[in-house]
Formats: sequence, C-alpha cells, structure tokens
Amino acid sequence: MNTYICRYCRQPSDPSAPTCPLCGAPVDIRSSVSDSGWVEQPPVKDMARLQFGQSHCQIAGTTVPVAEFNLAPNDWIYFSHHVLLWTEPNTSLTNMPMRGVWNRKLAGLPLVMVEARGPGHVALSENHAGEVVALPMQHGQQMWVREHRFLTATGNIRYDWHPSGVWYTTGSGDDQETHYPMGQFGDVFGAHEGPGVLLLHSPGNTFIRDLQPGQSLLIQPSSLLYRDVSVRMALHLEYPRNMGFAFWSNRWSYRSIWARLTGPGRVAVQSIFSPPEDTEIITNHSYATTHHW
Amino acid sequence: MIQCKWCHAQNQPGTTNCQTCGAPLDEADKVSDSGWREAPRLRDMVEFKFSGSTCQVEGELVPVAEISLHPQDGVYFEHHVLLWKDESVPLSSLNTGGGLKRTIGGMPHIVTVANGPGRIAFSRDAPGELVVLPLHPGMELDVREHAFLVASHSVQYSFIRIKGLVNLLHGGNGMYMDRFVTAGYPGMLLLHGNGNVLERTLRPGEKILVEPGGFLYKDSSVQMQAAQMPLKTGHLRHGMYLAEMTGPGRVGIQSMYVHHHAD
Repeated sequence: MNTYICRYCRQPSDPSAPTCPLCGAPVDIRSSVSDSGWVEQPPVKDMARLQFGQSHCQIAGTTVPVAEFNLAPNDWIYFSHHVLLWTEPNTSLTNMPMRGVWNRKLAGLPLVMVEARGPGHVALSENHAGEVVALPMQHGQQMWVREHRFLTATGNIRYDWHPSGVWYTTGSGDDQETHYPMGQFGDVFGAHEGPGVLLLHSPGNTFIRDLQPGQSLLIQPSSLLYRDVSVRMALHLEYPRNMGFAFWSNRWSYRSIWARLTGPGRVAVQSIFSPPEDTEIITNHSYATTHHW
Repeated sequence: MIQCKWCHAQNQPGTTNCQTCGAPLDEADKVSDSGWREAPRLRDMVEFKFSGSTCQVEGELVPVAEISLHPQDGVYFEHHVLLWKDESVPLSSLNTGGGLKRTIGGMPHIVTVANGPGRIAFSRDAPGELVVLPLHPGMELDVREHAFLVASHSVQYSFIRIKGLVNLLHGGNGMYMDRFVTAGYPGMLLLHGNGNVLERTLRPGEKILVEPGGFLYKDSSVQMQAAQMPLKTGHLRHGMYLAEMTGPGRVGIQSMYVHHHAD
C-alpha cells in the first residue's frame, strides 16, 4: 500500500523512486523552507521521467529544461506552437480550435494551440532560464495559471481562460490606458475527464506556500505562477510617505502596486518578474485595498 | 586509457576531465529515451588544451572561455564576444568576403584574430552552455549564425548561403550558416548554445523535425530544408515550417531560442 504523499504535487506517490513519478520532484531531499514559510520547489532532476496514461515525459537539461514526450497511441497533449522544439515526423500535429481569437489577440495570448498525438516523440521548451513545474491534477481539480506560463497539458485537462479582474487605468481622455499587472486574462485548467498533468514553465526559481483561510500576503503581481482557484486576488495600492522630495510633486504618482492573495489555498511564485513600470496617477482601478504611510 | 565519450580523445587513467574538450570523464552520459544526448556540462574552472594553448572555462550560467595563447597560436571570433584581453595580445581583422550580402544578412564581414602569447577571454550574452567541438582533420561543421564563439586559427572559416526561396522565407535560419572546415590539421571550435544543448546522431536517411530557432549545429553531411507542417499559426493563419534534418551525421540543438513563427 502506497502511503507516501509527495510534498510538492500533493499526490500519492512512490517513496522508493528517486523522483516523484507524477511531478519529477526529488523524493530523497529535505524540504527547503524559508523563515517566512515559502517552500522552495526543487527543480526536476535532469532526465527524470513523469508518467501519465501509457505515456511518459522526460525532462532534459537544467537551465532551460526540455520536456520530451513519448506519446502512446491513444494519448495526446496540447501546447502553444511557439514552444515546439522538435518532433519526429510520425507524430501527428494538428491545430486545436480556440474560442475568442480576437480577445486573445488583443491580450497578446497565443492564438493557436497544437495537438500532438501519439505514437511518437515530441519535445517542448520555453524561452527563459527557469524550471519546468509539473502539476498532476486529480479528477475535478482546477488550477489558475498566470498567462504565458503554460507549457503543455495532457488531453484530458480542459483549458479555459477568464479575465483576471485585476486592473487599473492611468491618464485620461485619449491618453487613458488600462494596465493589467497580472495579465488581462488568466488560464484556468480543470481535470474534468479524469486525472492528467499540467506542465508550466517558471522563469527563475519557484516557491510555494499554503495560505490559511483569510490569511493574505502581498506579492509582485507578475510573479504569481499559479494558485488554487479558492485563493482570491485583488490589487493593493501602497503610497509611501512623501519625505519632501520636490520632484515627486504629486504623492499619488509615487506608489507600489501589489497583488493581495487571500487564502485558503496554495500559491506559487516565480523569482523573475516585471514590476509595473509607469508612475502616472491611477485614475481608476478594480477592487483594491489602499495604504498610505 | 580513458576515451572521452564526447570528443573520443584518449586520456590518461585517473583523469577526471577530458584534456581535449573538458568534458567530465567520471560522470555518466545523460541521454534521453529518444536519443538526444546532453552536451557535457563543463565544470567551473576546467581546463583543456588545443595546439600549444590552454582554454579554461569559468562560470556556469553564462560561461566565459579564457584562453592562454601559445606564441605560435591564434584564435578568431566575432569582435562583440570579446570580454577582456591582455593589453599585449595583438588583434587583426580577417575579411570573410561576401561584403554587402553579409551586411544584408546581418552577419559580420570581418572576424577578429588574436595571436599569442597572452590571455584573452570570450563570452556571449545569454544563459547557456559552452559547446567544445574539437575538429579532427577533414571535418566540416555548419553552425547557425551568431552561435560561434571562438575557433583556433587552424580551422578554416567560411559561410554558406542557405539555398531555396522556401528555406529563406520560411526556414527561420537566416540567410547564412557559418561553415568550419579542418584540412590537414586538427582544430578547436567553441560555440555558445542558449539554454541547454542536446546532440543527436542521425542514421543515413533518418529524419527529425526541429524548430529552426533551436538549430545550433550539424555535420555538413546532414541535409537541412524547410518542411511545411499541417498547421496554421497567427491571426493571418500563416503556415508553420520546421527544419527537416536528414542524416547521416550529428545535429545539435539549443533549448532557448526566439521562435520564428508569427503569433
């Protein structure tokens, strides 16, 4: 009877294997936890194999890892075409229909998904130094993922996308601009047809944390990698006290923009992110908490 | 004697790193199930020799190749990969030919030559790996543009224009590939691959389809042409092309690249 629960993917796993066969995390290492409670996600070991259905995925490399799939005849995966690194000629590649092409175009999201069906090999990689994060999903489980972090999913994982609901505007009139610090849309993946595997690419290192009900924390909006759908997120605007610097003539334009995450549920952050750049006055925003120092 | 599995050079028993390419000799090869082999991850500060000179590799994220040149040796490179050098190391330029055509193709039409004695160091500007390719006499290797870091002066440098309108328009490999040839003498070629580098040896007639941005190098015996996939990409429904590689010979790929398809 297998009673080991992988501390990273939270699924029943094989304690005798060197790596978790579902997510690739090393089994024989101590958990690395910061004083504040962030758990460092260990990188998938070079050449570790993940099993799903009759197929498996092997992770090659550690700087920009490659996910190499050996697909069995009835298994398939889907992905954005720009992550395709190589394929065998006999692997079937077809377009996957997508809804809302115009909105996706406006949001800068990939317009085309590709289905790869076995039998055959196909390999995927992203374009940043970082880690491949595997999230095995049980039947009925859902996960929210920040846009552009999705690498691939098995065919039985349903893909949908929704507005992130986190935004603010600057300027006025013709110069008004709407900003989406967490992306205009978020990807939502659900295992509605049995268990499956979701693979993400996380630039930099990855840290995870479990939030208790009502517990909240502030993070850089673009650092969020994924969250349980039970975790709520909103803007938090923080205005440092103006210490008399004349060139910050308007205290409203000198601020920090945070994402407030509120539990319960699991959240993961990546260590590479892009902070919001502009310092113009915020004229409107989605629901936000505010603090003036 | 211990044979290096990467460059096949012979090394004295007890040696932990290959004296010819720096590859660790005491680690198992990392080969994926489909046959892609990871380029050896060079240990920080490892040294290897070519001709009378020594190369030391420093760093692991964006490695630096530091070369101690013998008085009779020289190396050449694209000038923007030069990181530092001893003041006394003389530099000269070598015209590659191709003039305006190379300029249009975004390629340098001169390479810089450094002669010994002295020290000189090179790096590119992205996380990745140094790929050390000792070339035996009579070898020909094709390298994607801007991936070449430095080569010893015994290696002949030329370039080949990628032929065919479909290859030029859709191949994603640019207009030119660098071609490195050794005639009567062995030589040393160092590349920088972005991300991780993997190599596979194709049998005669064996094919593999590679994202053109991921292509790094190949033996000149490997044929490369653009192959249209049954896929449409982007809102204009562009066709999608991959680079079809046909053996025999080695193919090297890099895992980080800027893909060439329109979104």
